[in-house]
Amino acid sequence: MVQRVDHSFKAMGGPARFRMEVDDVGLADVAVTAAVAEVERLERKYSRYLDDSLTSRINLAAGTGQVVTIDAETAGLLHYATTVWRESGGLFDLTSGVLRRAWDFRSGRLPEQSEIDAILPLVGWDKVEWDERGVCLPIEGMELDFGGCVKEYAADSAAAQLQRSGVQCALVDLAGDMAAAGAPLQGAGWPIGIRHPRARDSAAATVILPRGGLASSGDYERCMEIDGVRYGHILNPTTGWPVGGLVAVSVLAEQCLVAGSAASVAMLKPAPQGLEWLGGLGLPWLAIDRDLQCHGNLLEAGSD
Amino acid sequence: MATNKNDRNPALMALTSSALLLPAYQGAQADAPPEFAEAGMQYSKYKEDDITAKKAFGFTDSTRQRFDIDVAQFHLLAPVLDDWSVAVDVAWEDMSGASPWFVGESASGDPKVIMSGASIEDNRTEVSVTTRYYFDRGNSGLSLTYSDEDDYESKAAAFDGAFNSADGMTTYSGAISYSDDHIDPTQGAVPTNTTSASKDIYSAWAGVTRIVSKRAIVRFGLSYTYRDGFLTDPYKFRDSRPNERKEWVASGGYRRYFEEQNSALHVDYRYFNDDWDVQSHTLDVAWVWDYSPAVTYTPFIRYYTQHEAEFFNNLAQQDQRYFSDDYRLSAFGAFSYGLRASRKIQNWEVSVDAERYRTDESWGVFSGEESPGLVDFWRYGIGLNYIFK
Repeated sequence: MVQRVDHSFKAMGGPARFRMEVDDVGLADVAVTAAVAEVERLERKYSRYLDDSLTSRINLAAGTGQVVTIDAETAGLLHYATTVWRESGGLFDLTSGVLRRAWDFRSGRLPEQSEIDAILPLVGWDKVEWDERGVCLPIEGMELDFGGCVKEYAADSAAAQLQRSGVQCALVDLAGDMAAAGAPLQGAGWPIGIRHPRARDSAAATVILPRGGLASSGDYERCMEIDGVRYGHILNPTTGWPVGGLVAVSVLAEQCLVAGSAASVAMLKPAPQGLEWLGGLGLPWLAIDRDLQCHGNLLEAGSD
Repeated sequence: MATNKNDRNPALMALTSSALLLPAYQGAQADAPPEFAEAGMQYSKYKEDDITAKKAFGFTDSTRQRFDIDVAQFHLLAPVLDDWSVAVDVAWEDMSGASPWFVGESASGDPKVIMSGASIEDNRTEVSVTTRYYFDRGNSGLSLTYSDEDDYESKAAAFDGAFNSADGMTTYSGAISYSDDHIDPTQGAVPTNTTSASKDIYSAWAGVTRIVSKRAIVRFGLSYTYRDGFLTDPYKFRDSRPNERKEWVASGGYRRYFEEQNSALHVDYRYFNDDWDVQSHTLDVAWVWDYSPAVTYTPFIRYYTQHEAEFFNNLAQQDQRYFSDDYRLSAFGAFSYGLRASRKIQNWEVSVDAERYRTDESWGVFSGEESPGLVDFWRYGIGLNYIFK
């Protein structure tokens, strides 16, 4: 008798949920433990909010000349981030998080250009010195932020862990980053509502995820409007200013990590180039522009 | 997915191929060597209570004094290359005091101990080097140990391995070891049973650990040890033991985490049996309480009970082939209890512990003669650990 099991918890600063279909509830219990532990492991390792995380140690060593030793997994993430940086023409940049110091989206105040100019020298993936053994941020104040890929990676890793523990059918949802390991018995896949960018809690569309990952990126989370101009939290690492491109993008891919990067890069580009990038990848996607027009083939490809 | 695999976009191919290098996409997780090097020091004091006048011949304090041991240990563990670690352990022990020489019959008919006198002084140095290799589904280690003291030398090698199941829920482990020991008893204090002798010790162990629920782990283990050579205590007056000993141990353990209490319960049981007719049961219970993220308190209690060896007698029967009056081969029960506390301060961890061990023939579940030589002791320790990160 197949039973549905849900497990909700908090991780990586947001709500997290595992949905599973299992024959043996006891098995699900064990599998959930291992998968939650995997998410927590990645959070402890990469969160910039935890003082003893690897990320914090790397950031603390910035400008000291000290090379912080890294393991194969971290080197893999840096290698992956380099690929996304290169493919995005330098728009996706793990060092761009320091720009947050200039931009306070709750203040309703635009930063002075001089504030941004003071921070821009700290941004630039090409300045980071790293190899398979260690990483060094050469300038004091530089910061690495794995936020742009670790949650997606954790969703994939948790789904893989559930599968390894014997759960053949599971959906991992880490605050909107989804990874499916096997489709449920009923229906072609997991039904997932994609949020409307300007209306909380209402779905713009429902897509069906049979396997792989779905990630969404949007600037409706943090933004401010000044004199009728909307400033989103997605910042161009070269100018330090909000991009002002698409307002929401969702992408389906074999891996949640790749889906997330595809969506992030689309958001970092001006709207026309963003749409072009998405169209070119050949993945199912959905984008919403500033006029709330929907683009993309996700609804035809994924929905029922 | 709508992707046509024959016509993939180069950007997508680049992203996918570099993503697939990450461990999450490569099946079971690899065992990893420690991320950081660590070094530790530990000092322990082991002090046996004086034997009471009721149980020993002799009238002065010095004739009733038993063993004191000071132990200093040093530990270093470092990751090397990508998949290896190396650990070095060094221990120094300084022993002084006396141990029971033999048991005689007092005028009232009670057995009483004759102590060897406070004449034994010994130092032991032990060095152990372990290299460990970490692979996809487990790790494997080789260790070499050399121990030297005034009258004893031991050279040992051990090989162990651990393998994780594909689902990561079960770990199988095994180990084999060999030790080549040699004794040249110190002459002078008491006459000795030999002037030079040696023994070989072979041992094998197998175990399995399984995650059984969200918060619980169980483990089982079996081990076999074969001792071959001079097993008699050279300093005991009335001691003659077989030249072989075959020992079996079965053990099990259970760990459960209690979220609300921030604590873990550890329960471990061990059954020992050998061909000298010694049997024992050991039950360990510990409560590991994370008082805060930095401070941990661990109260623990242990119960031990032993069945005497077939050739044990308080008044050793020297007309037999084998005989011994060694209290360690008698029937008895023992309780020990104590507390460990540790505190992390940035890269440092300081720990202190104290343990009281008390023994009594009447606490055992097996009947036998009460040995007057049974010992109680205190043990205290302080340790310091540093992680290079």
